Amino acid sequence: MAPKAKTTVPDCKNVPHSHRLPTTHREVQRTFTKLSRQSLVSLAHQWLAKKNRDFCRPYLLGDRDADEEDEDEQYTPAQSYEELQEIYKELAARKGGKREIQDRILEGDWRTGVSMYQLATAEIQYLLDHPNSLRWTAKRLARIPNAKSVSLDMEVTNDSEHLPRFQAQTFMANLARELTPLMKAHYLLIKIKTMPMTILRVYIHDSPYSTEASLAVDNGNVDSARAVFFIWPNGSPFVYSSIANHFGQVISDDGRHLRDIVQQAIPKAFSRPSARYQLASTNFTTKSLDALLAYRGPGKSNAASGGWSIFQDHSFSQNALDFITSQRGDGHEKNRMGRDNATGTAKAGPGRPKRTLEDKETSEAKRRREVAAGRFGSSAQPNDGQGLERVEVRIDDPFPPVPDSSEQADDAETSNISAQPANHNRRGRPSMLDRSQDEIEELEGGDSWVPDVRVVFQGSHVFAGVRQLVEQGVVDGENMPGWMTGEAGVTIGAVKEGRIRTKSGQIPGV
Amino acid sequence: MDTAEALDADISDLHDRIATLRAHRANLTSILLSQPHLPTRLEQRPVLHERNRRNAVKLVQKQSNRNLENIYRACAGVTAYKVKDPDPCAIDDGNVLGVRIEVSVGGRFVETYHVLFNRPNTAHKTMLKIHKHTIPPCIPLQPLANRWLPTAKKSAEEPKEQNLVKFGRHLRKELVSWHLRLNTLEKLRKDAKVEDKPAGPDESNIEPAVGTVLNAFVSDDEDSEEEDPLSEAVGPLRISTLDADAAVREITITWSNGRVGIFKVTKDGEVDKAVVRTKEGAREASLVSKALGRIEGLLERLEA
Repeated sequence: MAPKAKTTVPDCKNVPHSHRLPTTHREVQRTFTKLSRQSLVSLAHQWLAKKNRDFCRPYLLGDRDADEEDEDEQYTPAQSYEELQEIYKELAARKGGKREIQDRILEGDWRTGVSMYQLATAEIQYLLDHPNSLRWTAKRLARIPNAKSVSLDMEVTNDSEHLPRFQAQTFMANLARELTPLMKAHYLLIKIKTMPMTILRVYIHDSPYSTEASLAVDNGNVDSARAVFFIWPNGSPFVYSSIANHFGQVISDDGRHLRDIVQQAIPKAFSRPSARYQLASTNFTTKSLDALLAYRGPGKSNAASGGWSIFQDHSFSQNALDFITSQRGDGHEKNRMGRDNATGTAKAGPGRPKRTLEDKETSEAKRRREVAAGRFGSSAQPNDGQGLERVEVRIDDPFPPVPDSSEQADDAETSNISAQPANHNRRGRPSMLDRSQDEIEELEGGDSWVPDVRVVFQGSHVFAGVRQLVEQGVVDGENMPGWMTGEAGVTIGAVKEGRIRTKSGQIPGV
Repeated sequence: MDTAEALDADISDLHDRIATLRAHRANLTSILLSQPHLPTRLEQRPVLHERNRRNAVKLVQKQSNRNLENIYRACAGVTAYKVKDPDPCAIDDGNVLGVRIEVSVGGRFVETYHVLFNRPNTAHKTMLKIHKHTIPPCIPLQPLANRWLPTAKKSAEEPKEQNLVKFGRHLRKELVSWHLRLNTLEKLRKDAKVEDKPAGPDESNIEPAVGTVLNAFVSDDEDSEEEDPLSEAVGPLRISTLDADAAVREITITWSNGRVGIFKVTKDGEVDKAVVRTKEGAREASLVSKALGRIEGLLERLEA
C-alpha cells in the first residue's frame, strides 16, 4: 500500500494550510522581501504559537537525519519550539537590519519550505502594514427580490435579519463547493483585530493536483497574479475585492478572470434557501482601506460624507445633557452658521472696530475658510488618511445655450455625429461611464445638446485638494456643486442638474 | 535633571488645573446665564455701555435656547429640525428636514443619530425621501423606509401614504435595542473575564496575532496526526473568547476545552436559538436548553 502523499492523481481537494512552497519560489521571495523587520519577527512569533504549529512546522534539530549533517550550514536548527520562540524574542529586542530576520526565516528555521498558511499570513501582514497597497472595489451584497415573499422581505420583526449572515464555516464550505470544480485554491479567512473587518485570501493554484510538488512548479507566467483578496467589513452588506498584484505590476487579464470567478462564487456562498444574494456595484474604487471603511464601512459615516460629516461626529448636536454654551460652543456655532447660510457673510465683530487694509485681506481668507468649513464640515482634511485618489464624473447636463441661436442649432447637428466615434477610440476597455443604450436614447429624445464631458480628479486626496482650492479662492465655495465636496460618496458617477444620479428608492450607504 | 523633571511635572500639573478651572468656569457661566430672571434684570438695571448690555442679552438668549433644545431633546428622544443644504444644486432649494434620535443607556445619552430628508417630488410636496443619514448599516433602515416611507417612482403617480412618526418610532426602537444589546455584551465580556481587545496599537510581541483565523479547520482533515493542545484542556473550565457580530444578533462563546456555543439573540435581547458543540462535534443538548432566555443571564445559566 503506497503512502497517500506519494501518489499524484488529479483530485478535488483544496490546498491545505500545511502544504509548503520552496523558499526560492517567486511568490515567497517577493512577499518576504517586502515585509519590515518588525513584521517578520511578529509573524515568526505567530507561526510558532501553539495553535499554528501544525501549519508552520519549522526545521528543528529532530528533523535532521544523522547522515545529512552539513558542515557549512549557516543556522543550526533549534532544539524545540520554545528555543525558537526565545531566539525571535531576542531578535525583536535587538536592533538590526531586516535582512537578518528574512535570511534566518527562509534559510534557517523554515529552510524546508514556507507553508501556504505562512505565505498567506505574511501577505495579510503586509496589507495591514500598508493599507494603501492595493486597489479595492467596493460591492454590495444585495438580496435578489423574491417574487413570492415580497411582503416578508420587507418586514422588520423582532428576529428579522436584513444583512446576509456570515458564518465562517458554512461560508467556506459553500465557497469551496462552488470553486473546486473550477480550480484548486488555498483559502485563508482571518478576522482582523485592529480593524473591523474579515479578510479572505484566495491563492489560486492552477493545476489538477493538490500536492506539494505541484505547488512548487512555477508555471513560468511572470505576470499572473496568484492571489485575490476579499474584505468584509463587520456588520455591513459590503464586500471589497482586490487582486494582489505586486508593486508596479500590471494586472493581467488572467488575474482579472480569476478574481471574477471567485467573485461570482461569493454571493452564491452567502445565499441560502429563500434568501439569494447578488453583488451590486457601489461605484466606489480606491486604494485606501481607511477610506473604504469610512465610505462603505460598518459605521455612521457611509451616508454622511462631505459637509454632512458634521452629523456623524458630534459637532452638529451636542450631547443632550451638555448645557455649556460658552467654551466649545463657539466652535460649533461657527460651523453651523457656515452651513445654515452658505452665503455666510463674515461678521464684522463689534469688538474689533479698527481694521487695517491688511486685515481686510485676511478677513477675505477667513471668510473663504469658513465657507469651506461649511461645505466640507470636518471631512476632507489632508491627513485624515481617507483620501480618494481618483474621482471621475460624466456631466449629463445639456450644453448651456449660446446667445446666438442659429449657431447653437449648428452645433447640435454636428455633435451627434462626432460624439459617437470619439467614444469608440477612447480606450480598449469600455469605461463604466460609457452611456448605456437607454441613456443615449433618452438624450436623443430631448432637444438640447448634451456632449459627453467627463471630469477626472486625480491626486493623493482629491477632496482635500478641492477644499484647499476653495480656501485659496480658486474654486467658488458657495456655487460649487455638492458632489465636489465628496458628499455623494462615489468615485465614479454621472452628474445631472448638479447632482450625482442615484437609483430612485435606494437609500445611500446601506 | 531632577529639577527639569520636577518642572515638567509642575507644568503638566498646572495645565491640568487650568483645564479643570476652565471647565468649572464654563459650568458656572451656564448656571449664571440660566438664572430665571436674568433677562428682565438686564433690561431694568442701568449699564455703563449699551453694547455690554446687548452682548449680555445675546449670551442669555443663546443659553436659554440651548436649555430649551436640550430639555426637549432629552425628554422627547426623537426631535426634528430644519437644515439648509449648502449645495446650490440641491433638490427643493436645499430645504432639508432632520430627525434626530437620542439613545440613552444607563442614565446617559450615549449616541445621537440623524436622518435627513428632502422632498424630491415637486408634485407632492409632503413626500419625504431619505437624503443623508448616520444610521449604521446593521440597522434595517431600508426595510423600515420601504414600510413607512414609500416613495412613488414617478411624480405622476399617486403617492402612497407615509408615516414619519411611525418610521421614527421604529427606527428609534431598533437603535435603542441595538445599544442595549451592545451594552449587555460588554457586561457579559466583563463577567466572563475575557480580556478586552488590546487598547491601541500594542506592539509588544508577546501576543502578535493580527487576528483570528476562521478557517483553521480546513486542514484538520488533511493532517492525520492531530496534535491535541493538551495544555489548553487542563485547568479549570473557563470561557476563552466571547464574541458577537456587529449587530449583536449572534454571540459565539468558546470554552477552554474547545467547546463552542453559538447563540442567536432576538432584537429585544432574548436568546431564542442556540447550538453548543463539544470539540469532538457532539451536541450538548442540556446547555442548549439552559441557554434559552434573557441575554443578561446567559453566563449564569450556562454555568449552573
